[in-house]
Amino acid sequence: MSAAQIRFATLWRREVNRFMKIKKQTLGAPLLETFLYISVFGAALGSRIKELHGIEYIVFVIPGLIMMALAINSFANNSSSILQQKFQGAIQDQLSSPASPLELLLAFTFGGFMRGLIVAGLTFIAASLLVDLPVDHVLVLIPSLFLVGFFFSQLGVLTGVRAEQFDDVAFVQTFVLTPLIFLGGVFYSATLLPQPFQTLTHFNPIYYMINLVRYGFVGFSEVSIPLSLLALTAATAALFAVNLRLFTRGYRLRA
Amino acid sequence: MREEALHIEDLVKRYPTGVEALRAVSLSIKEGELFALLGPNGAGKSTLIHCTTGLAQPTSGKIEVFGHDAIGSYGKARQAVGLAPQELNLDWFLTVEETLDYHAGYFGMPKRERRERTKELLETFSLTEKRDERTRTLSGGMKRRLILARAMMHRPRLLILDEPTAGVDVELRLELWHYMQRINQEGTTILLTTHYLEEAEQLCDRIAFINDGQIVGEGSSAELAARYGVGNLEDAYLALVGRNELSRSKIEVAS
Repeated sequence: MSAAQIRFATLWRREVNRFMKIKKQTLGAPLLETFLYISVFGAALGSRIKELHGIEYIVFVIPGLIMMALAINSFANNSSSILQQKFQGAIQDQLSSPASPLELLLAFTFGGFMRGLIVAGLTFIAASLLVDLPVDHVLVLIPSLFLVGFFFSQLGVLTGVRAEQFDDVAFVQTFVLTPLIFLGGVFYSATLLPQPFQTLTHFNPIYYMINLVRYGFVGFSEVSIPLSLLALTAATAALFAVNLRLFTRGYRLRA
Repeated sequence: MREEALHIEDLVKRYPTGVEALRAVSLSIKEGELFALLGPNGAGKSTLIHCTTGLAQPTSGKIEVFGHDAIGSYGKARQAVGLAPQELNLDWFLTVEETLDYHAGYFGMPKRERRERTKELLETFSLTEKRDERTRTLSGGMKRRLILARAMMHRPRLLILDEPTAGVDVELRLELWHYMQRINQEGTTILLTTHYLEEAEQLCDRIAFINDGQIVGEGSSAELAARYGVGNLEDAYLALVGRNELSRSKIEVAS
């Protein structure tokens, strides 16, 4: 391995090691949460709703839950890891190393991405044991999951870098992300909503992400798949460009 | 002729608030020197160190470490510098051993070498028994030792110690002095900031006074005293900060 490869691998390993050390909080809690959603929405609500667009209700919901697990964990990991390290001053060790802004940004990004993938993967395995979950369009599913994970990892990095206190991170997660995810149609189809909420849902970017992942699994979508993929790619690239600029300028990282 | 370990030219650091922490500072430290930077709180010592190590972005000026640019393409310059900051900026999640291992990884050191170097420094700093403990459980003195060991991990040619003996007991202070002298004799250049004048006098070849963001005097302890027309370094320092009335020569000894 070259010095640069060792450097990048170490930066990344540090991020993964952080959440692996507090597994109960970073992996256990989100898994329990997802399990509770499956129980409540699948068993309780599912017994009354039965089907949505010809798909068993619980099967309709699970792709959204997987997407939600991926998004929230990618975001939460990076935002809290960066803020915590800024708070302790420990981030200075990475910042004063020869690592470039791009290496630092990618290492932080992939830390959260890994956590999101692990939680999403375990949710998928658990869900597959409980219900018969199809994977209809793997070629849409894989890039969609990759883009969703990468997008929320980037959003976590941005929030962590901008945050000055833990409240700033909690605010974004509680008052922005959670409502957008819940109102994005994880648990229902937007076509069931009365107006103007049905139209308003189309302004929620997470609605398109849920549809992409749902299409990958069960082959049903309320939106155009190529257009959604394109928009998500553009949004992820834009966010990455913003973060890279912030890391290069040292915004709220270097004095 | 000895190589220049640190070359700073017309360094300016102006914060967005308009405060000018460094005002056209120029400084040269030769390879193998043990150099002290003295000045009151807020004089610009830490800012100068942060600019050299990438923790602050200079507004203008030039910084070179062993001839390598430390501001633009900083890779080689950073590789040559080890920083022990004033704050105990350790990551609470990491163990003592991980702290050293990750640091060396950020500087591209291969695994086997990291393991050997970690063992060596844990022994040198009497931390071997604490290797598996998380850093937050360490005493203040042990944290100080660990920070110094971390700065040494990648075998830097220039070691920057920002108030390394602040708040440590007499025994550890003397231990650190011995260590600094030893590694300096082995060839490591050291830049030291301190508030203890006897520390600078005892250890350092050359001393610079910094005040209000400017280098206002430079030379040996005797040269600085002569420059201010006083008998010793402490009186020269008091003259620098305009507090001559505090000179020990003016204290009446109780009979």
